[in-house]
Amino acid sequence: MIKRVEVNYRGIFQKNLGKFIGGDIVQIASRMGKVAFSNGRYSDSPERNGIPCKYFAFVSPDLSEEELEAECGAKLDIDEADVSVVVDDTMVKGVEPWGWHGVRAINEKVREKGCLLVVSRHGHDQLLKFVPKKPFSYRLALVEGDASFAGLWVNKDDLTRERVLGAIAAVDPGIISIEAVEAYLLERTKERHRAEAARAAYDATLRSTRIIKAGEGADWAHEIPRLPTWKEFEDLGVAVPAVPRGFKMGPRGQARNDAFKRGTTKSHRPVVRFDLCIKCTLCWYDCPDECFDPTDDGLYDVNYEVCVGCHKCAEVCPVPECIVMVDELKFDNNDSPWEHHKRDPQGYITWAEDKKGTERIHYPHVTGTGMEIRQGKFVPPKQEKGGAAAEAKA
Amino acid sequence: MATVVQETNVWARDALLNGCQAVAQAVRLADVDVIAAYPIRPYTEVMDALSKIIADGELDSEYIVADSEHSQFEIVKHASSVGARAFAGSSGTGWMYGFEALVVTATDRLCPLFVVGNRALDDPGAFGVEHNDALALRDMGWLLCWASTAQEALEHVLIGYRIAEDQRVLMPMALAMDGAFLTHSQHMVKVPSQEAVKRFLPPYNLGKRRLHPDNPVSIAPQVNEDWVMELRRQNWEAARRARTVIPKVYESFNDIFGPRYANPFFDEFMCEDAEVVLVGLGAVAMPARTAVRRLRERGKKAGYVNLRWFRPFPTEQLRATLGRMKGVGVIDRNFAHGSPDNGGIVVQDIRSCLYPLTQRPAVTDFIGGLGGRDISIDDCMRMLEITFEAAAGKQRDELVTWIGLRE
Amino acid sequence: MASQLPVIDYEKIKKIHDTPLEEFYTSGHRTCQGCESAMVMRDFAKASGPRTVVTGATGCMYVANTSYLTTPWIVPWMHTQLGAGGSSAVGMAAGLRALMRKGKIPQEKINVINFSGDLGAGDMGIGGISGALQTDYDLLIIMYDNESAANTDIQATGSTTYGAQTTFTPPGSKHRIMHRRWKKNVAAMLAVGHPTCRYVATASATFPALDFMNKTRKALSIGGPTFIHTFDPCPKGWDFHPRYSHELGELGVKSGIFPLYEIIDGQVIYTYDARQKGRIPVREYLEKQGRFAHLIDEDVDYIQHMVDTMWNEWEIPGVAPFRAGLSVAG
Repeated sequence: MIKRVEVNYRGIFQKNLGKFIGGDIVQIASRMGKVAFSNGRYSDSPERNGIPCKYFAFVSPDLSEEELEAECGAKLDIDEADVSVVVDDTMVKGVEPWGWHGVRAINEKVREKGCLLVVSRHGHDQLLKFVPKKPFSYRLALVEGDASFAGLWVNKDDLTRERVLGAIAAVDPGIISIEAVEAYLLERTKERHRAEAARAAYDATLRSTRIIKAGEGADWAHEIPRLPTWKEFEDLGVAVPAVPRGFKMGPRGQARNDAFKRGTTKSHRPVVRFDLCIKCTLCWYDCPDECFDPTDDGLYDVNYEVCVGCHKCAEVCPVPECIVMVDELKFDNNDSPWEHHKRDPQGYITWAEDKKGTERIHYPHVTGTGMEIRQGKFVPPKQEKGGAAAEAKA
Repeated sequence: MATVVQETNVWARDALLNGCQAVAQAVRLADVDVIAAYPIRPYTEVMDALSKIIADGELDSEYIVADSEHSQFEIVKHASSVGARAFAGSSGTGWMYGFEALVVTATDRLCPLFVVGNRALDDPGAFGVEHNDALALRDMGWLLCWASTAQEALEHVLIGYRIAEDQRVLMPMALAMDGAFLTHSQHMVKVPSQEAVKRFLPPYNLGKRRLHPDNPVSIAPQVNEDWVMELRRQNWEAARRARTVIPKVYESFNDIFGPRYANPFFDEFMCEDAEVVLVGLGAVAMPARTAVRRLRERGKKAGYVNLRWFRPFPTEQLRATLGRMKGVGVIDRNFAHGSPDNGGIVVQDIRSCLYPLTQRPAVTDFIGGLGGRDISIDDCMRMLEITFEAAAGKQRDELVTWIGLRE
Repeated sequence: MASQLPVIDYEKIKKIHDTPLEEFYTSGHRTCQGCESAMVMRDFAKASGPRTVVTGATGCMYVANTSYLTTPWIVPWMHTQLGAGGSSAVGMAAGLRALMRKGKIPQEKINVINFSGDLGAGDMGIGGISGALQTDYDLLIIMYDNESAANTDIQATGSTTYGAQTTFTPPGSKHRIMHRRWKKNVAAMLAVGHPTCRYVATASATFPALDFMNKTRKALSIGGPTFIHTFDPCPKGWDFHPRYSHELGELGVKSGIFPLYEIIDGQVIYTYDARQKGRIPVREYLEKQGRFAHLIDEDVDYIQHMVDTMWNEWEIPGVAPFRAGLSVAG
């Protein structure tokens, strides 16, 4: 028997988290006398900030290491998953790691009676607006929390790692048991609160797990691209046609690479109050993904299909509250906000304010820890830098 | 159908040229657009000659003295990508220094022509001929052939461009010449007329792969595992098609310049009734053919196969010719340390080529002429005799014999 | 063998509102969120327009931009090898010039641009770029400098800032600093060594606004082989939230650690004259990046000292680290 776990995470910001969880599963399962190994999906590398990536762990109580490796090792992706962990809930809208992989459903690999385990503060129903239906029944479990983002050199120690391990034990004890998780964490870290966090997540996950029936969930519009045979692209071989030149004012007026839109990279999207805009152009000018479309009235529409949620426009915009980054799960389409604004200016303001809500996200410069350098020691971030930094420390 | 008419004006003149100068004349006649030079002996004299040709206004070409072989080859590769006919060359470790550029020129399916003045690989530095430099291309998607005379060198620049640029092929072309023995040996060479060359060699047309604002393409985007096999298969197909294009090009060459090449891939010398043949690349053909003549005078049915094309390897044709023999001796002017039997490179391919035959000749291997050491007529006679003995079933301790080694 | 082509005198973009709207490097690339090097791509393509051919050397801006059979490029683009930036530009320029002069393609000005990263341009390919800058071809080489081999997950290069953590230079319990090289002064080195090269500049993609686009246009208008070195904050390798990419570039310039200047026909023109405008402490730049989190005051002081020296003691501040002496040898 083989148990397969995949961790869906966002490149770089969660790279260490994904790798640690995979490695922890191997060590815990080994301590339980099982055979296990872990690897990442090689095609995801080099990882780019925000791009959806995967890490895997494979566990077997009865196979030899060689057989387990033969079944699961020499493969680029997982065949099916007993547990698909998602450490950033915005990935439930679908993931597009690279061109020609297509936009894939987050529960694509979840097997019958398997489990989709999402770190989220949203409820089951909210997630199921995006998670596509499957022809069989499976489970959806939640670990309450925010997406844990850290940088390449740091690991954000917010106990997400421990809590996910506890949750995996809850949804499939055949992989790792909660007792083994606790013992491992205690022995490795000598810190009781880590084992406690795992146990708390275990208990909460047992309560939060819900059976998803066959056919329950969202309709799925994305097709998996078909790769051509060698003969079908022999005339150009290593060459491909450039994006055809094209520009006109207004939404979708700029020609773009249709084969790889990668809008699934974002966990937040910019919401623009066009009525506050002073037409300084900076959001458009500073956008590294060319996602703003100039319009005849001097405003800039946002093409959410290609926006990757870098927050730069919100940062450089000189007008308070004009561009605000909002949780991607608050949106169910990529329609043009400018067209909405033109159609119904007052209604748009109401809509935008509703989406923006009252919470504002602040980030420290240095991802994850919010640390700043002082004699090589971690120093608490300045309070004026806002909530997330302080939260990261906590 | 091409009209087979021996035109009176196909040859412009007879000139005293060494191998390098003959190549330079051919580059002039091919109206090459971009040339990149970098010095290394012995190929250098090609560029010496070309630079003078350009200085005298006999060829209108961009001529760049590059800062390294790597730059030299990259310049030529990218010139080829915008649709310019391009030329470069090198020797020995210089060739190896630019090797990265050679690899991608083939995978980009661009078709410049390179001359390799074969030279021993360092260390220690040695100027003489050895074929390892050019043979390093053998698995890289290149066309690779050897000229054994200055006349052949000249003609194979023209033939080479024609094959390389054929829409069915689109592969880069390497023309190898033995250092010193060919590069620096002067002979009377017949130089074709410009008109005749124009009829033989159409303009370079890269078609849909050309990099130009009027043909916006992205060339060689990065790929994942989901593309590489298909691309390799396309390269494989090009190499396969080259096998059929090459004879057609020689046919066309013969039509215009007279019946010069009976067999495009290799010359058979006294092979029709031969029992034992030697196979070699390059200038060793001269002493080898002489040795064959002398053995024939003694009544021994010897022959010589002057292998011209190494890539694509003329499998079917060689199998037909060598399959008739009782013994085949391969002269490897190269080394493949640690290979089967510690032999050379060429013997491996020849042995593989013959393996499917039910009646296989005895194949012996000779390592000789390394670093430019002579391979004399006597050496060739000795190799033929050993091959005769092998054909007669005599067992030897070593399957590979070093010729001309101080022992 | 030079041929005379009509010079396109690109118009300077005076106001941000006059920036051309059309993109020639467009959405659908796999670059990081907040990638400043992608800004460099976008801006040079926009500034140079459709009659341009581009090569990109191996590196982030190769691998992240093109996922096979998809491309974000509208202008013709081709990959070139890591150390082949300069020679790829020479090859294209030479090919186009020969074909035009010989009447094989129509005569026109086609911009020839190569971009290479700091590993490609500043280390491996510097010989080829030097060769290119000695020619008389119209070509522009852009070194996009994110101070690491970012495509292979952040290794130190000759352009990495002193002290930075990279995967090849991790801080350890015995050695706090593994990267002890001072950043290579590539633009000035190339300017000093190639007196016939008429235009060398440094730039930051988004600060000051329009500056890099105008420098691209100036390079293309002045003609001959030209070189621009851009300073590209990298959220992934420098470890800061992508939203601060613009700010980090601005801090780098204002702290004087990356001087902005042009050298036009031998004349140095400061884009941001840190002597007049003053410099903010480098600490304000360093402390916002996770790659410097292991530094102690002593390290920051050393970096500050080196930056001070660069501005206060160099013969040409920020550019050339010499002192003209009066003594005569012997």
